[in-house]
Amino acid sequence: MVSVKQFDDDYCLLKQNSGSELSKCSGVPWRGIGNGIPLYCLGTQPVRGNDAYRASSCHAEEEQSLLDSLLLAQWEDRAWKGPLKYDVTNCEMKFISGSRKLIAQLNEEWNSNYFPELAEYNVLRSFDHFKFNCMKTFREELLFCVARGEKAKSELITSTILPNDANLVILNANPVEYGHVFIVPINFYNPPQFLDLRSLELAAQFAIDINNCSFRVFYDYHASLRVNSSYFQACYFANPLPVELVPVVPVIGNWQERGIHIFEVSDYPVKTLMFKGKDNFKMLVALVSEICSSLQDQQIPFNLLISECSTKIFLFPQVRASSADACNLSAWECGGHFVFRARQDFDLASEESLVKRLAAISLDSEGFQAVKQMSCSIASELSS
Amino acid sequence: MGSELGPGRLSLIDESLSSRYSEWIREALEELPDNFLITDPSISGHPIVFASSGFLKMCGYPREEVLGRNGRVFQGPGTDRRSVSEIREAIRQERSVQISLLNYRKDGTPYWVLFHLCPVFGKEDGRVTHFVSVQVPISTNSRVSGSGFWRNWSDMVGDSSIMREIVFGSCRREVCLDSVGDLSRSIPFDSYVDSDNRGLEAEESCEASDSEKQKAATAINNILSTLTHYSELTGKVVTGKRCSSIGIFFPNCSDHTAFRKILESFSRMLRGHMFISGRTDPYLHDMPIVYASDAFVKLTGYSKHEVLGRNCRFLQGPNTDVEAICQIREGIETAQPCTVHILNYRKDGSSFWNFLHISPVRNASGKIAFYVGVQIDEGSKDDHRGLSQEMRQLGAVGAVKVAVRSSSMGVGSSSKS
Repeated sequence: MVSVKQFDDDYCLLKQNSGSELSKCSGVPWRGIGNGIPLYCLGTQPVRGNDAYRASSCHAEEEQSLLDSLLLAQWEDRAWKGPLKYDVTNCEMKFISGSRKLIAQLNEEWNSNYFPELAEYNVLRSFDHFKFNCMKTFREELLFCVARGEKAKSELITSTILPNDANLVILNANPVEYGHVFIVPINFYNPPQFLDLRSLELAAQFAIDINNCSFRVFYDYHASLRVNSSYFQACYFANPLPVELVPVVPVIGNWQERGIHIFEVSDYPVKTLMFKGKDNFKMLVALVSEICSSLQDQQIPFNLLISECSTKIFLFPQVRASSADACNLSAWECGGHFVFRARQDFDLASEESLVKRLAAISLDSEGFQAVKQMSCSIASELSS
Repeated sequence: MGSELGPGRLSLIDESLSSRYSEWIREALEELPDNFLITDPSISGHPIVFASSGFLKMCGYPREEVLGRNGRVFQGPGTDRRSVSEIREAIRQERSVQISLLNYRKDGTPYWVLFHLCPVFGKEDGRVTHFVSVQVPISTNSRVSGSGFWRNWSDMVGDSSIMREIVFGSCRREVCLDSVGDLSRSIPFDSYVDSDNRGLEAEESCEASDSEKQKAATAINNILSTLTHYSELTGKVVTGKRCSSIGIFFPNCSDHTAFRKILESFSRMLRGHMFISGRTDPYLHDMPIVYASDAFVKLTGYSKHEVLGRNCRFLQGPNTDVEAICQIREGIETAQPCTVHILNYRKDGSSFWNFLHISPVRNASGKIAFYVGVQIDEGSKDDHRGLSQEMRQLGAVGAVKVAVRSSSMGVGSSSKS
């Protein structure tokens, strides 16, 4: 069923090329993972099913997971050797004074148009076309691939062939934080450009396998853009994002019997829903994916923030941008992390002005109630 | 022994949970069917601050005789000293442990449990707030040895409960009534004795089955998620994982002890040959090692004590290549990471080839706080689940960078010098 595509020599070139670069740089070959492309195969065993498979060994959770090591190592490797536009650890960060502990970052080289190459490649390009061009474009940025494996446990292999459903993990050369990557489903160029269950599940499982609670996955859906994408972004924030610290109010319903919890984030400038499911990962993902596709149908822009190893998913529905100058916020901005390009703006940033910015994109009570109702009815349908 | 329960201490014990997990936490915890205790290491004597109904039923003590006491009251003459010291060591190192343990009921009868202890960390500061210990009865032929001493001892202790009864009176009774209703959900202690008789003697060490281990781990997870959830209500969020536990960062590198402590707690995640140098001065000879991992110590043969405060130059010897040393110096002067292939010497004078990777680590204001050095002993190169040693060590560098960067953030306007 799984069809595979053979990479042409283009990719081999890339490997040799980067190999020689490495040796030039360090004097000793800081070997990658051999020849071919590192392919991380997700295990078929439920990582978090009804039983706590991960916690069964006392020490496992204290060690860095394989995927965590792999991602950090590849990122650190690239950070050292070049394709990054700047060193994000060089950027100053602070909490904005105030009760909400919003986070500000000064990043003078920040480019919010962070995925220009992919945008160029636009829709309706075939996979072959993509492969051909993308490998050229991203020869340095491609860190590794992720795909569903056939073995029970996740494993790392080296492969010259790539399963059809693989996701590319591509370095973001304009990182907002350490470890910033794009997680791009390969069928990215196949319309429809929607977030589907498969890609959400893969991204969420990625976060489970990383098993590091600093790691967060983001998804942005901008209804105003003509072309949307189904790629995710992810990076490490060792501190909780402000929205994660806000008290939540449970929404009661039959989904609780299935281990799914829906919460309304109270007292936050963006009206937000939070979905939580520790033991029922599949259902959590199915629920959020259904809700997202409903929002997409209604052309309601939204963002997702997946945190705590995929036990929590925050949904930030946004107002439809009515005028040309109205802009949508990214998921980390909704979460309370703001990037400033100018020193002056950074120094003068106040909680009041940022709260205002957040509130401006939030749905009004009526609109939010509608989203909540819709979410609950989907949840209750899935639970019955 | 139990008479240390003054009113001040009582309220400390009472507030231990509610102040961090809100008023509703007890109710929520009571809904969990498992046998477990929660203890607070920040109160003197490391007392029990919560005991589940299932646990009380299993051990036969009333709740008021358990709260405020140390967990060792359940140990008795047959309890293996080694197991006890293993638990004590885990508490000291703030890590989890799963071990078979012989405990004693109030009436003096011993019973085997699978004891699973797990620390709960404050997410903000990374400090241990509580320990959760789940006890799953191990199905075995438990033999009653009926020690009179333990019964007498617990009777002696019983006095303090009178006072508690007066203080809490009726509300306690309600809780007890509730918990009787819950009994059907708690583990029926008596039934397991018959259900699975493996003929093990109580006095011998007793191995738990996989399903019991699984059960303990699941229970720990459920309790942790309840605690995490309720801690969100107060904003003092907790986590069962240490990965975000590097909460405090000392920009002043001279405070080596404090910094080292953070790194020690971090290091369990990263089993690499690693050392970290402070950068009080840009010159190499002034970069004292502020942290050395166990693996580093093992590799070099020096003790931590001998390593800390020294420059890593002491690993160099007569045949060490001068060019490699220059490369390191250049990397540090230009604030760039570098990798060198360098001949190092152990304490006993034997030499080894070392892949040394040194990288600057910046704090939240973008300033270089340290240099992290990762060594790979070429003699012991092995790939771990498809990941080469070099990759793993780079992964460790990345993890240090994330932790140091994001946990050193200040409030308000900070100035970059």
